[in-house]
Amino acid sequence: MRMSRIRNRVLGSNVAHPLSPTDPAGLRTAAAKYLPLAVMLFFSALLSAYAQESADSSQALRFEGYPNAPTFSVVPRKEDLFFYPCDQCHESMEPNPEIRQLDAMHDSTLEHGRGRIWCTSCHDLENENFLRTLLDEPVDIDEAYLICGGCHANRQKDWTFGAHGKRVANWQGDRTLYNCTHCHNPHSPAIRARAPKPAPPVRAGLKLERGVVHEKSPNWDFREEHEDQ
Amino acid sequence: MSNGGNNFDKARRKFLAGLGMGAAAAVGQPAWGGEIFQDAFADFFQKDYRRMSAEEIAAALERIERKAKSRYDVEIDCQNTPPQQGVVYGYAINISRCKGYRDCVYACVKENNLGRDSQMQYIRVLQLDQGNFNLEHSDHYYDPETVPVEGKHYLPVQCMQCDDPPCVKACPVEATWMEPDGIVVVDYDWCIGCRYCMAACPYWARHFNWTVPEIPAEEMNTDTHYLGNRPRPRGVVEKCHFCIHRTRKGQQPACMEACPTGSRIFGNLLDPDSEIRYVLANKQVFRLKEDLGTEPKFWYFSD
Repeated sequence: MRMSRIRNRVLGSNVAHPLSPTDPAGLRTAAAKYLPLAVMLFFSALLSAYAQESADSSQALRFEGYPNAPTFSVVPRKEDLFFYPCDQCHESMEPNPEIRQLDAMHDSTLEHGRGRIWCTSCHDLENENFLRTLLDEPVDIDEAYLICGGCHANRQKDWTFGAHGKRVANWQGDRTLYNCTHCHNPHSPAIRARAPKPAPPVRAGLKLERGVVHEKSPNWDFREEHEDQ
Repeated sequence: MSNGGNNFDKARRKFLAGLGMGAAAAVGQPAWGGEIFQDAFADFFQKDYRRMSAEEIAAALERIERKAKSRYDVEIDCQNTPPQQGVVYGYAINISRCKGYRDCVYACVKENNLGRDSQMQYIRVLQLDQGNFNLEHSDHYYDPETVPVEGKHYLPVQCMQCDDPPCVKACPVEATWMEPDGIVVVDYDWCIGCRYCMAACPYWARHFNWTVPEIPAEEMNTDTHYLGNRPRPRGVVEKCHFCIHRTRKGQQPACMEACPTGSRIFGNLLDPDSEIRYVLANKQVFRLKEDLGTEPKFWYFSD
C-alpha cells in the first residue's frame, strides 16, 4: 500500500514538488491527472513554515517550504544518473544495513560527513529508488534538496530564496533551479579546484611586475610631516 | 563668408559621393542593395539616440544591420527593446563562492561582440590576499595552474551601474546617460571618444575601443541592441550594460548564466520578492568605494 502510493506520487510529480502529505491518497491519484492545477494549488497554499504534522499520525513529518518563498521548480536529474533506477540491481538483493566497505559498482569512499553518515542516512533501505529524510519519509531523487536541508538548513533556506544555488536562464518569470546535487556530488560535495580561463593580456606599452609596492613615495612621509608641528 | 560655406558644402558632397562610389567600386554590386552612399549620408546626420523619432531609430537600426552585413558578413538582428515599467536592475556577487575561474569574462566577450584581437574585457576578476581589500594590491593577471589559490580570494569588478554616475556628469556631449531601468548606456554613434568618462569612473569600468573589433563571423552574436552589444565603431568608449538585450527580455546577463558557481545574483530592486532583495535584506552586503557616493547598484556579500 505504502509503496504504491509513493509510486503514484512520483509518477504524477515529475515536477519538483509532490503534493502535501496531508492530502488523502485518492486525491493524490486524481492530482496526477490534473497535474498543472494540483501544482498551482500546492504553491498557492505553500502551507506552514515548517514540517506539518498530519492529522493521520501514521504519516511522518515533512518539510513543506518557507512561507513567502518564491515558487520554483527543479531541473530533473534522473535521466543523467547512470545507475538509476536503483532497483534494477537492488530488487534481487537482500537489503543489508550493515556498515561496510562497498566493492563493485559504487564509489568505495564517502567524503561527506566525516564518518558520521552512511548510505542509509540518505538512501531508503527498503524503497531503493528513493531517498529518505531523517524522519524516515521517502523522498524522490529529484527532490534531493529536501534531504540536504536535513543537515544544511541555512543553505537550503538561502537556496529556496535565491541567495545560494543557480537559477536557469531567466531572472523574470518561471523560476527553475538546479538541484543541490547538480553542483555538489552528494558523495563528495566539496568543489574541486580547476584551471582558470586565460588571463587578460597586459596592455601594449605596459609591463607586468609583481610585488611592486607603489603606495609609499620616498619623497613624502605622513609621519615626518606631523613631527614638525 | 557665404562663398566659403558653399565651397565647404561642395567639398563635403564631393567627399561623401566619393566615399560611396569608392566603396561601391571596391565591393561591386553588394548583396544588401547598394545603399552605402545613403547610409554614409544618414549616419553623418544621425542624431543623439534620445532625440531620434521612432522612424529615425528604425532607420538607424536597419543601417546598423546593413553595416554589420558588409563588415562581418553576418545577418544581425539589432533591436531597440524599451525598458520595462517598474524595474530597476541590481546585481550582487557572493565573494565567498567566487573561485576566480573567469568563465564570466569570456562569456561576456562572446555575448557582447568584443574584439578578439583587442582582448578588451568588461569584467576584471581581481585576486586579493585573504582578509584584505586593498584594491591597489589586487592582481587581475593571475594565472596559476588551478584556482582558487590558497590564501587568496576573488572579486569580479565590472560596471557598477551607479545611481549617481560620475561618468555621465563628465560626458561633454551627453552621449551616455542612465536609462529608466537603471542601466547606464552609451550611444556609440554620438560618443566623440574624448575618454573623460573613463577618467571620471572610479571603478575602471569603461574601456576605449582602440581598434575596429575583429570577430570571426561564426562567433558573432546576432542578438543585439542599439545601446548594448551591436558592432561598435573604433574610437568610442564602451562598458558593461547588464546585457541590456537579454535582461530587458527577462533573460539573465551572460556573465550570470556562465558562472558555474552561482555566485552571481541579478534581479529587480523594486520587487520585494526578488532574489536580489532577499540578499540585500538577509546578507552582509557592501559596495566598492561606497564613500564616493556614486551609489552603485552592484553589491558584494559573503555567506
